[in-house]
Amino acid sequence: MEVEFRKDNFLLPETKYEYLDHTADVQLHGWGATLKEAFEQCGVAMFGYMTDLSYVTVKNCYEIEAKGDDIEGLLFHFLDELLFLFSAEPYLVCKKLEITKFDLDNFEIVCRCYGEPFELGRHPQGTEVKAITYSAMQVVQDAVKGLYEVFVIIDI
Amino acid sequence: MVVRPYVEELKYLEKINDHCWRIKKGFQPNMNVEGVFYVNSRLEQLMLEELKNSCRPGAVGGFLPGVKQIANVAALPGIVGRSIGLPDIHSGYGFAIGNMAAFDMDDPLSVVSPGGVGFDINCGVRLLRTNLFEKDVQPLKEQLAQSLFDHIPVGVGSKGIIPMNARDLEEALEMGMDWSLREGYVWAEDKEHCEEYGRMLNADPAKVSMRAKKRGLPQLGTLGAGNHYAEIQVVDEIYDKWSASKMGIEEKGQVVVMIHSGSRGFGHQVATDALVEMEKAMKRDKIETNDRQLACARINSPEGQDYLKAMAAAANFAWVNRSSMTFLTRQAFAKMFKTTPDDLDMHVIYDVSHNIAKVENHMVDGKERKLLVHRKGSTRAFPPHHPLIPVDYQLTGQPVLVGGTMGTCSYVLTGTERGMQETFGSTCHGAGRALSRAKSRRNLDYKDVLDKLDQLGIAIRVASPKLVMEEAPESYKDVTDVVDTCHAAGISKKCIKMRPIAVIKG
Repeated sequence: MEVEFRKDNFLLPETKYEYLDHTADVQLHGWGATLKEAFEQCGVAMFGYMTDLSYVTVKNCYEIEAKGDDIEGLLFHFLDELLFLFSAEPYLVCKKLEITKFDLDNFEIVCRCYGEPFELGRHPQGTEVKAITYSAMQVVQDAVKGLYEVFVIIDI
Repeated sequence: MVVRPYVEELKYLEKINDHCWRIKKGFQPNMNVEGVFYVNSRLEQLMLEELKNSCRPGAVGGFLPGVKQIANVAALPGIVGRSIGLPDIHSGYGFAIGNMAAFDMDDPLSVVSPGGVGFDINCGVRLLRTNLFEKDVQPLKEQLAQSLFDHIPVGVGSKGIIPMNARDLEEALEMGMDWSLREGYVWAEDKEHCEEYGRMLNADPAKVSMRAKKRGLPQLGTLGAGNHYAEIQVVDEIYDKWSASKMGIEEKGQVVVMIHSGSRGFGHQVATDALVEMEKAMKRDKIETNDRQLACARINSPEGQDYLKAMAAAANFAWVNRSSMTFLTRQAFAKMFKTTPDDLDMHVIYDVSHNIAKVENHMVDGKERKLLVHRKGSTRAFPPHHPLIPVDYQLTGQPVLVGGTMGTCSYVLTGTERGMQETFGSTCHGAGRALSRAKSRRNLDYKDVLDKLDQLGIAIRVASPKLVMEEAPESYKDVTDVVDTCHAAGISKKCIKMRPIAVIKG
């Protein structure tokens, strides 16, 4: 669902993700000072694989919801929602994700997704993401060190 | 996963002959049947190296090697015969890619696994012939490549140009190529040269989520990205002149077009949805597997039946998709040569599925049994006289289309009686990856890859530059090794070799 957002004071987050090796596919690795941030970073990483995000401007904001049965399920469905946002109307490519509700008791996420519709000719074509997988999925939470990271293999 | 030192692991593997290895029970827990894989000496090295790398103590975040995955599949309930790895096998999601397995339909415990089909349901290859020769096409090669690239939507975010609304989609899902025929996109005889005649009858669009339909609608008639392509190829070698002539291939130098694509976002979403449902069904029915990725459900459970009906709809989507691109290819050629597709004799030689599950009858221990055959990265290869292959190929055996990689060659094989006995009528599907995508990007240079293709005289149009490195021939196993192994093992027979002169990729 498209929502309003304020364009003044709009800040892009710093990049805290990378792409790791896998024979046929690619592994997304996102991290942050909180688990919420690691999730957001992982989501942006997926969009970064589909196109070069430096060509993307922030024009629209859509709100999505995701639910899971456990933490891995939540991550899976969160990314699946984002993939759907790109694959069908509004064909959104996101440059920034902002999770506004991160409920780890009921495994629910509400997220604001900032970006613009993908447009051939303006946005370079990267690699198509077929699906999110549970394969070697890891959610690392180290409260002592303040390090949170997630690993997800996407099928491409 | 059982972690043992490499030398211990090797005790479970036995080389039966020059191109076949046996995986004994105990290699992975609970194996119901043995495993087997087909390799020659070069592919064998790759296979064992992958296993060796996974035996390093304390390794985390890695993935299961193909051999282990074959063995895990052998532990699934209801499997019969052997879990089979084809020469192009590489590590995949649950099932390895290049793995086939058959399950007894009459055993109530037997399972169906979306991982045994793959995300890209009914991904496959179609080959069109022409009556043109290399000398006709060489001077126009660049223009023809550009024209195909302009006609066929390729790459991430591209949308189909065949007009479609939600109701058309429902009909297409149910009717497969019959829809394409009714709408005038294909010729009646095209259907005859497709597995299942381009339509799976058990398709039920009502079993498909709205999300899958929404992903599918804009993508119908698009090539996709990754390893998908459309290639203009010339016949480079004919091994079996008689069979080739049955396919309308008479001489070296004849021009053909190969299209490799699948069910796009539609199939990907059907698979994703099914995996989520099956996780629940597994808990309920207490189905234990060695690997969480091997999500499955009993064939007769509601989840199993729903998946098979949705999978069939996705298979129909893929046939309509390849048919739409067949139409666009014929248009591009007709315009370029200022004639009609008819006069160019642009018939479909054959259309194979290499990611699919099908109900088939096979002989097991001397008795005919009804099986659910999973082929993931594996092509059906039925022998001569089999009732399910078209009348034109009754005497040659089913044509098997094996796509190579960008800049290498592709093959047409035919099915054999031996393949029917040893591998449930299945063979390889392509080259199979050897290098990871990230490694390809690090090690290969964009310009080098393009220069090399240029030297080989191959025109190329690619939507995504980084794909050039990822899909470079160096990233794959040698398709000739793969095909030669299948030929030597007798599970299929070499018929025609083609080399590309123009490639269109996502």
